Amino acid sequence: MNENLKIKKLYALSSENRKFSFSVPLKNKIRIGRRDYIVQLKSDEKYGTYILWKNRKYPVEIVRSRQNKYEILFNDISYTFTVETPFSLQRMKVIKSTKDVNELESLKAPMPGKIIDVFVREGSSVLRGEPLVILEAMKMQNEILSPVNGKVIIVSAKAGVNVMKDDVLIEIKID
Amino acid sequence: MKIKKILITNRGEIAIRVMKSARKMKIGTVAIRTAAEPGAMYLSFSDEIFDNSEDVSDIPVFLDIDKLISIALKTGSDAIHPGYGFLSENAYFAQKCFDNKITFIGPSPDAIYKMGNKTIARRLALRIGIPMVMGSAGNISDVEEALTAASKIGYPVIIKAASGGGGKGMRIVRKEEEMERMFSTASKEAEKAFNDPSVFIEKYIENPKHIEFQILGDTKGNIIHLGERECSIQRKHQKLLEEAPSCALDSSLRKEMGDIAVQIARAVSYHSAGTVEFLLDSDKNFYFMEMNTRIQVEHPVTEAITGIDLIEQQIRIAEGEPLSLKQEDIKLKGWAIECRINAEDVQAGFAPAPGKIENLSMPADPYVRVDTGIEPGSIILTTFDSMIAKLIITGKDRKEAIKNCKMALDKVWIKGTKTTLPFFRMLVRNQKFQDGTFTTAFIEKDIEKYYLNSEYEEMLAAWLATKLFVEENLLEDSINVDFENGKEMSPWLLNKRINQF
Repeated sequence: MNENLKIKKLYALSSENRKFSFSVPLKNKIRIGRRDYIVQLKSDEKYGTYILWKNRKYPVEIVRSRQNKYEILFNDISYTFTVETPFSLQRMKVIKSTKDVNELESLKAPMPGKIIDVFVREGSSVLRGEPLVILEAMKMQNEILSPVNGKVIIVSAKAGVNVMKDDVLIEIKID
Repeated sequence: MKIKKILITNRGEIAIRVMKSARKMKIGTVAIRTAAEPGAMYLSFSDEIFDNSEDVSDIPVFLDIDKLISIALKTGSDAIHPGYGFLSENAYFAQKCFDNKITFIGPSPDAIYKMGNKTIARRLALRIGIPMVMGSAGNISDVEEALTAASKIGYPVIIKAASGGGGKGMRIVRKEEEMERMFSTASKEAEKAFNDPSVFIEKYIENPKHIEFQILGDTKGNIIHLGERECSIQRKHQKLLEEAPSCALDSSLRKEMGDIAVQIARAVSYHSAGTVEFLLDSDKNFYFMEMNTRIQVEHPVTEAITGIDLIEQQIRIAEGEPLSLKQEDIKLKGWAIECRINAEDVQAGFAPAPGKIENLSMPADPYVRVDTGIEPGSIILTTFDSMIAKLIITGKDRKEAIKNCKMALDKVWIKGTKTTLPFFRMLVRNQKFQDGTFTTAFIEKDIEKYYLNSEYEEMLAAWLATKLFVEENLLEDSINVDFENGKEMSPWLLNKRINQF
């Protein structure tokens, strides 16, 4: 018998750390205040896949799913959740409390395009908001700014090279 | 001379827009099929298609002057409509059309050249006493010169491409230290976009409103204006929402600015449709910025409140007809708002979001006009502009137009790419937008979040993520999709899911 069938509750944690809990088996109903509302996942030719909720259709897409991590596009907005069981949630809390604070920040390409210029070298110290790379996409030159204060440890971006969305351009060790 | 057949040297929604007016006037149209978009929607609206899909050169055919002229001659087109972007403001192209006895539906090469070169345009405007912001006397060729000019004018300054438009080659410099970097990006961007690296410098007016006037002039010297459009909702100088009229103007300011716009057009003996752009500061001082010598993306809001078909007017003027409208005939009625639906990821700072349109449904209410060049199956490429549709919403006044806009935005259904829809859903609910006090700094300064989502929406998304987890991990028997009339789940959704494993 599968261990998982004993699970009575699941938690969807958003990337901003909001927690939504659902009882298992999962119902097609969501309680708000004192009322239950029916939620349905539907699909048809005209609209594709959608959720029907309070008489309104909302477009949904599953953009990515890997292990317990899901990126959902709901009404044109992306949400990323990790779905945790009561056990994995507990384990996560333990890991988090022992985690090293000296972190790495990977600067990723926010869009596909071509690298025009790279302003830093390995070893450069950078400040938050400082432009690091110029990425050209749809004829616009976009400055990619450093999200943190720190030291550049790897420069993967090269001028003249085309990159895909989410390609790592620069890695910074956070001060 | 009557035009018989128009070659449209453009793509997307504007190509379709031109074809609609041409059809109404019983004029034939030719569209060009390209290798990049061989099955694009605009092709199905033309009377004829010239197949150029074998041509796989890097430069889009819409920028290839010699090729376009030869296509016009081969297809027996006696006129060319360039739309906006591409060669629409290229004086050499207009001249080439003239040399080959093809009617260019737009202004004269001379007017395009003078207004297109911002340095010449500034000089012209100065000569006839048009109010302008302080700026460099001519083009700036290096950083040293830029620094000298900027210290004379006083920071902040704005660097602009001499041949620019559409926000490209434009940078704001607030401090001396930023000049070197900003000068070099602006200049490089200008060279890339307009094949001309020259730039000039102006005083940067903080928090102005962007107000522009629609001009119509004929070849007999009659010039009128069709009122203003407000385009202050911009991001990095790219307009996102435009409206007409503007709540910042009363009838006397409208008359004053409109008269000056006409004067500017007269300085270059302007004919065809054109736009004179101004900055309006918080004390209602206005400054001439530039004149765009083409039909603009946002022209439908003017059409909506004047009842005038601007493309039809352009064609009639190109045929040599005198304007049948006089300034006193122009009456502004009601309010119109245009939302530019771009394939962009609002959550990732408006990054381009290419993709394939899977499903599409647009509102059909009487208060909505939709100008689009996409349909289900269309592929959005990074090669072209990210704009995929324009929603033009009307109402008897601004309040009603905003209310209608809210309803229309909830009815737009686009699947296959992320769009600017969540941005507009936020915008129409914003207090500052509603009371009309916003400026061009609105997006950068006045909003915390670029998009709208309610907590229920996030909860519903969480429910869906949990549902997927249950199906994949907890081995439940039922998939729980509500199969409607026995239909399968969207193959697209399934495909996307299968690809992950």
